[in-house]
Amino acid sequence: MLEILLSQVVNGLVLGFIYVLIAVGLSITFGLLGIVNFAHGAFFALGAYAAYQLYQMFGWPAVVFAPIVVGIVGMVVEVIIIRRLYGKEPLLSLVVTFALALLIEALIRVFWGSDGKPFSPPPALAGVIEYGPLFITKYRVAVLVATTLTLAALWLFLSYTPYGRILRAGSRDPEMVDMLGINLPRVLTAVFGLGCALAAIAGVLAGPLWTVSPSMAANAIMPAFVVVAIGGLGSFRGATVAGLAVGVVTALTIQFKPDAAAASMYAFMFLVLLLRPRGLFGERWERFE
Amino acid sequence: MNEAHAMSAWSSMQSRAKLAALVLGLVTSFGAVGQTSAPVKIGMIYAKQGPSASLGEFLARGSEMAVEQAGNKVLGRPIELIWLDEPDPQVAQQNMQKLIDESKVIAVVGGNSSASALAMMSVAAREKIPLILPGAAASEITGKGCNRYTFRTQATVPVQMRGIMPYVSQLGKKVYFITPSYAFGQDIIRSSRGMLMEIGATEVGSDEVPVNTADYSSYILKIRQAKPDVVIGGLVGLDLSNFLKQWSELGMKDKIPYVEIAVSDTDFWNIGPAASTGIYVKPWYYNYPGNTPTEKKFVADFTKKYGRPPSDKAFSGWIAMKSLLESIEQAKSTDPKAIVTALEKWRYVDGSFPTFYREWDHQLIRPAVIVGVKKNITDQWDYFDVLKLTSSTEAETAKAFGTREEVGCNMGPL
Repeated sequence: MLEILLSQVVNGLVLGFIYVLIAVGLSITFGLLGIVNFAHGAFFALGAYAAYQLYQMFGWPAVVFAPIVVGIVGMVVEVIIIRRLYGKEPLLSLVVTFALALLIEALIRVFWGSDGKPFSPPPALAGVIEYGPLFITKYRVAVLVATTLTLAALWLFLSYTPYGRILRAGSRDPEMVDMLGINLPRVLTAVFGLGCALAAIAGVLAGPLWTVSPSMAANAIMPAFVVVAIGGLGSFRGATVAGLAVGVVTALTIQFKPDAAAASMYAFMFLVLLLRPRGLFGERWERFE
Repeated sequence: MNEAHAMSAWSSMQSRAKLAALVLGLVTSFGAVGQTSAPVKIGMIYAKQGPSASLGEFLARGSEMAVEQAGNKVLGRPIELIWLDEPDPQVAQQNMQKLIDESKVIAVVGGNSSASALAMMSVAAREKIPLILPGAAASEITGKGCNRYTFRTQATVPVQMRGIMPYVSQLGKKVYFITPSYAFGQDIIRSSRGMLMEIGATEVGSDEVPVNTADYSSYILKIRQAKPDVVIGGLVGLDLSNFLKQWSELGMKDKIPYVEIAVSDTDFWNIGPAASTGIYVKPWYYNYPGNTPTEKKFVADFTKKYGRPPSDKAFSGWIAMKSLLESIEQAKSTDPKAIVTALEKWRYVDGSFPTFYREWDHQLIRPAVIVGVKKNITDQWDYFDVLKLTSSTEAETAKAFGTREEVGCNMGPL
């Protein structure tokens, strides 16, 4: 019994890392721009499709450009639409980004059709690793490594680079940042692009795991929202801890009560919010209160 | 002055618009009196989003093909198809009501999920509008829950399970179930348990999976731990695609055989040859040499139009719509009761024995195909070898679908 539990926990952690990656982008967009981006799942799907397309055209190495492409799409969307939502009431950004999510999904259907696209892990990463009770595929290990590296790079960028400092300052006091002579609109465009690129990285990694299809957007957005709510809105650390926790909770529910697996993360969120209404690491944000 | 001018122009424009509306109203009411060229409206309810979107797309294409083959006309009037979504049972039911109330359709073809179908058929009975289900295999639909206005083309779960059981028994004695947590999945488990006893097999595990699950790795770890000889599944659409993809990723593809019923070609086209494996029951296969000439023409027409062969869902949508159109012609009327009576008498004689809706439970009586994924898939679309039919003679087919007592359908008057 202990063996299968251990193996389920590890499996849940790997799954959790993908949730973290999806949620972190969502959390950044919210924390720095104040936008609840319902279209985040659509950018995730777009990432998977971009990867599929690049793979078809140029082979595996080209797949790394998918997040960049999606990031650029995100920046264009910011300039055309999202920019108008800053400082407006949150409901407006919810409605607009929800519409955007539907639009992107519809465009995916138009360009690629509503059926799924076959997209398997690269041959080099096929196969499984068995170590004692642990049973994991090479591809999932690669996902784990890629996610950890991405999150570490993001954390270093936000904490230790001048750009990261501008972003964090801009999220707290945009007026002051503007007065210091920094071109804030351009910074905000970049932030939204970064959020979309992060969603796309998750999409690229999830493509070979889950079927690449228009509905993968919906599969990604709900766990991401749950993770952000549990972790605390706008908290990088919160999203990481909550994402891993949701992965493990889901895996263990599957072990003991499989038909409740989909509901388990919501029950978990309910519990956490009951005890800590602002989420695990949610801070008090004057802007949103 | 300028403003006054603009005002008068505006009011004259308004009165002109009123006049136009009046004329238009008169014209349409004349049309209604004439009735000769008013379109016959038929509703379709197929998934446009979610895990069954590719099933819905092919169902719709098949139904549209039947309309096209009929020259877009029935009773000499043009046919107007109205396609609404089937995302979940609740919305499917609302859409059924909407088609009847707002679009005034005379019949509905649609409903792929058993859960949606059960919700939609209650509306059909209440509103007295014929409903033909091209999918939805749960037995209660034409069993205890049957009604006079609902017809179903796909073989029931017990019929399909009985077809696959000989293969299960060849594969081993320890069985693991992975089924979706709604009517269809529950029917698979219920029907199989009795049959497992007959073949001397035992159940070593059973997981009910929520619909729309993306990651199955935790379920696969459980199955691996239980060491079954064979897995009986029931996942639908993208859920099956995702499962098989991860089944292959976790190296289980060649270790434990997988069998399932009521699958569709798109479930496999979605993931490609590398991840496809297993033995399945499905309503129909485009590349089966035993297909009738009409079916072969359907394959040719479909392939010509869409650049790929029809999946079995396309066939199901096609035959459901075809039976409806032919019955409307037969009834010489768009009156729902007349259509139901004609559907009950509809006979489609094309192969060696006729296909028809059984009068007392409205189940389409025709065998399904049992297929295995090819060892070497070389064609972009041709993934399967047909192993056998679930039944091969007329008498055997009638017997497979059960007797009145076994089915338990008690239908009321029209």
